[in-house]
Amino acid sequence: MWKTILRRVLIMIPELIILSILVFLLAKAMPGDPFTGSINPKADPAQIHHLMEIHGLYDPWYQQYWNWVVHLFHGDLGMSYEYQEPVVTLIQQRGANTLWLALFTMVLTYVIGLPLGLYAAHHEGKLQDTLVRVYTYVTMSIPFFVVLVLGIWIFGYALNWFPTSGSVSATASGLGATTMSRLGHIILPGLLGALFGTVNIVQYLRSEVIDAKHSDYVRTARSKGVPMKDIYRHHIFRNSLLPIAAFAGYSITGLLGGSIFTEMVFSYPGMGLLFLNAINFRDYTVITALVLLYGFLNLMGTLLSDIVLSIVDPRVRIE
Amino acid sequence: MSTKKWLTIGIATMSVMALAACSNKSSDKSGAVKHITMSAKYSGPGKATTEGNNSTLKIAEVNDAPFTGIASGTLASNAEDSDVFSPGAPGGADELFNVTKDWKIVDGGLANQRINRKDKTVTITLRKNARWSNGDKVTAKDIEYPYEIIGNKDTTSQQYSSDFAAIKGMAAYHAGKAKTISGITYPDGQKGRSVVIHLTKVAPSMKYSRNSFIWGGVEPYEYYKGTPISKLASSKQVRKNPIFTGPYKLDKEVQGESTTWSPNKYYWGKKAQIKHITIQVVSMNNIVAALNSKKYDFVLGGIGSAQYPKIKKLKDYGLAGTPALSYSYFGFNVGHMDPKTGLNVMDKNSKMANKNLRRAMMYAVDIDAVAKKFGNGLSWRANTLIPPVFKDVYDSKAAGFPYNMKKAKSLLDKAGYKKHGKWRTDPNGKKLVIHLGAMSSSSSTEATYQYYLQQWHKAGLDVKMTGGKPMEMNSFYATLQKPKQNKMDVFLGAWQTSSEPTPTQLYGVDAPYNMGHFATKKNTELLNSLNSNKAWNAKYRVQQYKKWQEYMNSQAAVAPEQFSYSWSPVNKRVKGYDVSEQNNEFWSDMTLTAANPK
Repeated sequence: MWKTILRRVLIMIPELIILSILVFLLAKAMPGDPFTGSINPKADPAQIHHLMEIHGLYDPWYQQYWNWVVHLFHGDLGMSYEYQEPVVTLIQQRGANTLWLALFTMVLTYVIGLPLGLYAAHHEGKLQDTLVRVYTYVTMSIPFFVVLVLGIWIFGYALNWFPTSGSVSATASGLGATTMSRLGHIILPGLLGALFGTVNIVQYLRSEVIDAKHSDYVRTARSKGVPMKDIYRHHIFRNSLLPIAAFAGYSITGLLGGSIFTEMVFSYPGMGLLFLNAINFRDYTVITALVLLYGFLNLMGTLLSDIVLSIVDPRVRIE
Repeated sequence: MSTKKWLTIGIATMSVMALAACSNKSSDKSGAVKHITMSAKYSGPGKATTEGNNSTLKIAEVNDAPFTGIASGTLASNAEDSDVFSPGAPGGADELFNVTKDWKIVDGGLANQRINRKDKTVTITLRKNARWSNGDKVTAKDIEYPYEIIGNKDTTSQQYSSDFAAIKGMAAYHAGKAKTISGITYPDGQKGRSVVIHLTKVAPSMKYSRNSFIWGGVEPYEYYKGTPISKLASSKQVRKNPIFTGPYKLDKEVQGESTTWSPNKYYWGKKAQIKHITIQVVSMNNIVAALNSKKYDFVLGGIGSAQYPKIKKLKDYGLAGTPALSYSYFGFNVGHMDPKTGLNVMDKNSKMANKNLRRAMMYAVDIDAVAKKFGNGLSWRANTLIPPVFKDVYDSKAAGFPYNMKKAKSLLDKAGYKKHGKWRTDPNGKKLVIHLGAMSSSSSTEATYQYYLQQWHKAGLDVKMTGGKPMEMNSFYATLQKPKQNKMDVFLGAWQTSSEPTPTQLYGVDAPYNMGHFATKKNTELLNSLNSNKAWNAKYRVQQYKKWQEYMNSQAAVAPEQFSYSWSPVNKRVKGYDVSEQNNEFWSDMTLTAANPK
């Protein structure tokens, strides 16, 4: 298995190189440049021209690409044109915010989704099952941004229970207060994300459990007199987790992706907004760095999912 | 409104404004159009209390993206940064100088300015008690340092313009041939209080703040010492612990989200009365709800007019504002820029070369109606290319282009654009298809594009949108800024102007932002006269400004679309809110009557 993992990691290298070239070319192919929007009566185009020159934006693409690769190996992803800060610093700041929120949301999603799925399957066909299913359908069919807007309006503005903007209070000082303030800022978006993002987990788990309940080995176990509780714990639950486990790799690496909707509505400075703005402002260095990072995370996610799957399901072996 | 840079902000403001409108009064057929007026001042009822003044003034910066966080005015290139760091700068228009209602520089600010026309020098002298918020003295070198930052070969600042080359030695420094700017001298040494700027020419515009020759700010040279200019924008001194000369000092900055302030005990002017200020980014979508639940006292960065009816109804907020330093316009493509000379050249044979065609297109659209329909009294049909906020030089009597379809049709008929079937042809009988370029925007702004098309169709002109739909901002400007383009025959744009009104950088023969390439001898003459020697005479200057506005209207190569208000709701616990131009103590004047927004 280790050999396979190593091989897969090695294959990732050419994949990443191709990805980076593609991203680099596509980013440059977009109309405009980092300074297009800067025209104002006080910014002289000659100065903009000069800035383009010192940033090497007139060089042929392969030269720009090469410079970028060389810097990359020095751990330098370049400076953001928009923020005038190293891209690494930017990603660290925004990544931390996103990670907090995403982790919180993910944990909540599983905490809510797993028991619900099991509960529904356990009461298959009964009222309880119907209620859970209706809940998942309803949450799935409401566009998430509507949920967010309603959520912030009711709990943020009308009831004033939660903060409505940013990742931390402007006045919080000291580690304790800052941490609490950060937590306070992610509760509402996290909770909304979890309550309205459980549909996959619940439905997968429910149908898997129902499938398993009717399978031969469960019937055999039951006929041998094994208590239902044990059957659930040892046979059904473990088997039913397979599709969810297959998801897990992606979920973990997806933590850094950020959610544009959530970040927009809550003015939460995370990776989603960073990426969106970078595209709007032609902030090439940030675009390339982020796409590459996402590409890498996706590849890692696939690998991780395979590994997790092979651990959960002894029948699956990576060879 | 999102953030990008200067222009985007302009566009956003404008797009909203493009939809803003005259409240209920329609235009009279000539001269300035009536619109609502708003006071620049607001003072809530009751008396200021200690409890109120010891609390926190809560301000929302309305923006859909986190702010950049560059606290230096010389290096920042967007409006959000100057907003969130504004309590650090003295009130009014400028950090260095106090100004009048026309932004004329007057004595009494951080520094005074004297222009010597004979010697072609400008002397700037700091007040005796000028200090930075860390207690350091503001020195002559601090006045000079912005010029070094702006002109530096490796700078990240976008502020350098050809006008700075009028400072002796600046060109050599900018090219990297000199280590210092020889034309800036220190009569009493670098640590003294004054600098003398030696120029190759002096212009009347230098009397006004934020002109293109004299920089209106200071930078703490000693505090920055050791950081190369190319690295300043990402340095700790600029991003984490910036210092200021204004009434407040920065206590804390949450990157991209908020800034927190307390009074600066070293401030030379009127002492700040409110003990704490926080400025927090709030997205445009949430601002009405936020104000409704009284989370903020007022806003910076501007709210669109679309929100105005809801905000007007808020019982606990008053409204205050001034006409905005901006306007939107129709530009016509009448030529190209010669890349060799850098000069704009008109093409006699270009599609839009006939001024009567351009004028007809302007008369065919009812901008008053657009303003009425979408705005809420906060924007109105513009009648010239100088915003009314420049009270002295704005021509309130200019007619502009009030709606007159009959006149439009007759202009076209007379100019030979005869109707053949559904559409008119050009005077040579050839098919005429005109392309309108405009940026993607809110649904209401895009509805106005459709309205314009519809009106032009009514006049018999076959006008289509470039590419069939509104363009993304980058594509739009990338196309327009090409030396020669034929994708857009008419385009919709907006300008935010500086507080000095000279329009040469937008419409001059050598102006790269003259994107429609209108360039005539008369225009050049008139533009030059605005800052000629004679223009030191105020009367002459005003007269020439009016002549220029009249001339531009007669040519309709760039035609005004809308003016607007820049405004904010203000909570009734706030007293002394005053955004008028001549208020040089905006932050120190304010007091609070309660501990929380009421």
